[in-house]
Amino acid sequence: MGTSIFNIGVSGLNTAQTGLLTTGHNISNATTPGFNRQQTIQSTNTPQFTGAGFIGQGSNVQTIQRIYNQYLSSQLMSAQTRLSELDAYSAEIKQVDNLLGDPSVGVSTAMNDFNAGVNAVSANPASMPARQAMLSSAQALVGRFQTLDARFNEIRDGVDSQLQSTVSAINSYATQISELNQRIVLAQANGSTQPANDLLDQRDQLISELNKQVRVTTVPQSDGTYNVFVGSGQPLVVGAQPFVLTAIPSREDPSRLTLGVALPGGGQAGLPESLITGGELGGLLSFRSASLDPAQNALGRIATALAMSFNDQHRLGQDLTGAMGGVFFNAPTPQVIFPNSPANAGTASISAAVSSVGGLTTSDYRLTANGGGNFTLTRLSDNVNVFTGVALPQTVDGLNISLTSGAAVAGDSFLIQPTRYGANGIGVAITDPRSIAAAAPIRTSAALTNTGTASVSPGSVNAPPPPNVNLTQPVTITFNNPPTTFNVVGIGTGNPINVAYTTGGNITYNGWTLQISGAPGVADVFTVSASPAGVADNRNAFKLAGLQTKGIIAGGSATLQGAYSQLVSDVGNKTREIEVTNTAQVNILKQSQDAQQSLSGVNLDEEAANLLRYQQAFQASGKLIEIASKLFDTVLSLGR
Amino acid sequence: MRIASSMIYDSGVAAMQKQTAAMLHTQQQVSSGKRMLSPSDDPLAAARALEVSQSSANNNQTLSNQKAAAESLGLVENSLASVGDLIQSVRTLAVQAGNAALTDNDRRSIAADMRQNFTELLGLANAADSAGQYQFSGYMGATKPFSGSVESGVAYAGDDGQRLMQVSSSRQIAASDSGNDIFMRMRNGNGTFVTTATNTNTGAGIIDAGATLDPSKWNTAANSKNFTLRFAVNNAVLPPVTTYDIVDNVSGNSLLTGAAPGAAPYPRVYQPGQAINFKSQGAEPVFDFGAQLTVNGQPANGDSFSVQASSSQSVFTTITNLINALETSNSSSANATLLANRLGNALTNLDQASNNILTVRASVGSRMNELDLLTNVGQDLNLQYQQSLSNLQDLDYAAAITKLTQQQTTLDAAQKSFMKVTGLSLFNFI
Repeated sequence: MGTSIFNIGVSGLNTAQTGLLTTGHNISNATTPGFNRQQTIQSTNTPQFTGAGFIGQGSNVQTIQRIYNQYLSSQLMSAQTRLSELDAYSAEIKQVDNLLGDPSVGVSTAMNDFNAGVNAVSANPASMPARQAMLSSAQALVGRFQTLDARFNEIRDGVDSQLQSTVSAINSYATQISELNQRIVLAQANGSTQPANDLLDQRDQLISELNKQVRVTTVPQSDGTYNVFVGSGQPLVVGAQPFVLTAIPSREDPSRLTLGVALPGGGQAGLPESLITGGELGGLLSFRSASLDPAQNALGRIATALAMSFNDQHRLGQDLTGAMGGVFFNAPTPQVIFPNSPANAGTASISAAVSSVGGLTTSDYRLTANGGGNFTLTRLSDNVNVFTGVALPQTVDGLNISLTSGAAVAGDSFLIQPTRYGANGIGVAITDPRSIAAAAPIRTSAALTNTGTASVSPGSVNAPPPPNVNLTQPVTITFNNPPTTFNVVGIGTGNPINVAYTTGGNITYNGWTLQISGAPGVADVFTVSASPAGVADNRNAFKLAGLQTKGIIAGGSATLQGAYSQLVSDVGNKTREIEVTNTAQVNILKQSQDAQQSLSGVNLDEEAANLLRYQQAFQASGKLIEIASKLFDTVLSLGR
Repeated sequence: MRIASSMIYDSGVAAMQKQTAAMLHTQQQVSSGKRMLSPSDDPLAAARALEVSQSSANNNQTLSNQKAAAESLGLVENSLASVGDLIQSVRTLAVQAGNAALTDNDRRSIAADMRQNFTELLGLANAADSAGQYQFSGYMGATKPFSGSVESGVAYAGDDGQRLMQVSSSRQIAASDSGNDIFMRMRNGNGTFVTTATNTNTGAGIIDAGATLDPSKWNTAANSKNFTLRFAVNNAVLPPVTTYDIVDNVSGNSLLTGAAPGAAPYPRVYQPGQAINFKSQGAEPVFDFGAQLTVNGQPANGDSFSVQASSSQSVFTTITNLINALETSNSSSANATLLANRLGNALTNLDQASNNILTVRASVGSRMNELDLLTNVGQDLNLQYQQSLSNLQDLDYAAAITKLTQQQTTLDAAQKSFMKVTGLSLFNFI
């Protein structure tokens, strides 16, 4: 009997002590990340059956349980991985946003300055200072394009190096998780069925950290291990075996890093970027493909459009030395990138050239060989096949794609980047201010002997370049009697006779167009001739200045500046969108965190109360032993 | 709801961070005076601001183009004013030279004055701007447009080019005029036709410049615009009867009979000072060219005058003709008549030149006027652009400062309440 009381007292002491230990553990881990509070599960000992019924035998601790809810934890992880993705995206796109919004870096002011330079030449075509100023402003504009492009490339390099560090973090987490898997198996297999609470917490915490890098899925196994998968089932950890991810140059575009996985037999295989979502990695990859590439392409498109349209007009003019205008800007050219390792099986060499700046998009393209000399072109921005199964050359989206040599084997692919390097490739082609073609190469004149009142327009050179070879041949337009028709004489015109005259109608020969309006007299003569000494002629500069307000991008719907503001607006909107989503996601995360912490977090007041509770239970059990001792003393004293 | 201790700290810190971030944003807005610190703050307004600043830049560009055009036109206007004055002084001299009391020497000294004027005019026509570009050579700014002398005549070496400037988004203005248009391309005579006395006339008939009554009739296809007015005097009767015929030089037929011109007497009877109409009278074949002219004085038998469509004649040629006429000795009465005819002719042409200069000046003036208007509009527009930009970009300070104060209060409250909440612990009582 007395032993029993002692035993009960001792069991109570032990139980209370375990309670105190657990409470102490909770208190000391109150700030440990990933810690789930623990609780002792107490139960009664097996009672002793007597004739008087069951007599209780005290208490014992059945197990120490961590308060953990799988659903809440996975909800938290899901919120966390999305937030990490948004954070990474936001951090990157903010750089682009700030870059484009900064008037001292953006091309907007430089473009205005350049326009002012062109207008100054238009106002004073013979002025060397004006010409020099125009060249300088062109160089400043080109410099601005290149600076902006270099910043884009820096951001791109930043993404690459972050990719590498993210990948090594992922690998490190994968290794740690696999080790913990092993330790958990060992711990839980130690003859008991008790959960290894703190190891499980550690592993959950690691998986949560891994989730911040990339979204993973976990599949619990019967032996207590977790298998971890990334993307659409690419294993990262299986039991105690981690798989190594690597950052490797993309096969399609070796200049960019993408994700690969080390194959068991050596070598690496690329992981499709579209399968990687969530976490910092997902954020970086989607920033690069959804914001950085289009933004850089859009900037490149503006530079390409500026260079090509300006060149086209410039080549129709005549410079100060009387020569036809050459190219003003070094125009960037589209890039065709051949895959490396493994390279294409075929020998085809593909080239792409801009056929019309208005048709250019901001997308990249993938050209795939279908075999039999046929190709399919996919626009990567919307994954639309622009053409399917046709032979080259083809002209689409402002691009002329042709097969320069060799033959392709089915499955060969080529990446075409029409404008990616536009902002980098633009340059000023001329250095001599005299080479600015401000004048037009032809002039028109009405003979002084004309008796009619008809006047002739200054005439313009027909686009596109190159100009007609007979452009500057002298041509005479003579009116007949009655002056309702005229004859044209000059090399290249075919000397047509009796051409009907309409006042103000276009008269086009030899690559020029002019209008005669009014009432011509009989035998009135109008002439077109070369204008070698037209140093004060601003006709071409005038047209060059007009390009600023002309719609030349996106099928003529946007001016250069308009396209730039669209770029700023697009990036701004995307940044805004990410920020708003981010704010929402922070709240979602907070709610999930609160729900999870509400269940599993340590409340120090609660623990303090538990301390008091177990302390008192301990004291009470002590008292019980004291009483048992006294009882025993009572029994001993009976014999005195 | 069960609260974990960490939640108190986490949410307290998160709230304070949020408040601090918002306050920093407001503070940056206040310190920069800008509502948008980056385009993402208001992408729509950012893109709009870019567009507006581009429009504003374009507007500024047209303003500076207007200024350049106005400067250029101002120079042209100055030169033209001097040219107009010069032509007026030549005209005064010509009128003076018409005085019958003058001797050959007097006229020669007037001609010498005119030679002076001629050289001056040539100088004006070769005016250059501050950059050394000739003003009146069209596109060929480096080419001296006019060269020559009274004796050799003046040739134009420039072209017809006019420099256009974009002075508003939709308006282009010519900032120059070619020398051809100002000095060379002037209609001689009355602008429609020119009347000339034949040099060999011996009578005292002086023809005027004539007038066009109806230009559309003058321009009918039947009009060859090339006629000879022939006079015949029948001295056999007293008083002598003067008759005239109008011969179409193209068909060779008399306009008045429709057949080859017959011998004197001619179909119409001449009365000095009576209008000679280019319109059928009586039984003549029907024609009406809507023109009339007058011959004063008595032509001699066989005298003739030509009537031809006007063509271009430079002001230099006009003055040269005048000088030549004045420098020709006029001892005989026939010569005096010739001089009178030539002077009349020259005065008509000088008036044409003067008119032409005035027309160009009027055109330049109206362009300058338009430029003034456009500048006003452009400056107003600039103000509007600035205002839109300010609306889009600039900060409402009152609202921002209020917001800042509010955020400060909230942050203060968050900090104080955080201290209060975290200070509560059961451990304080154990």
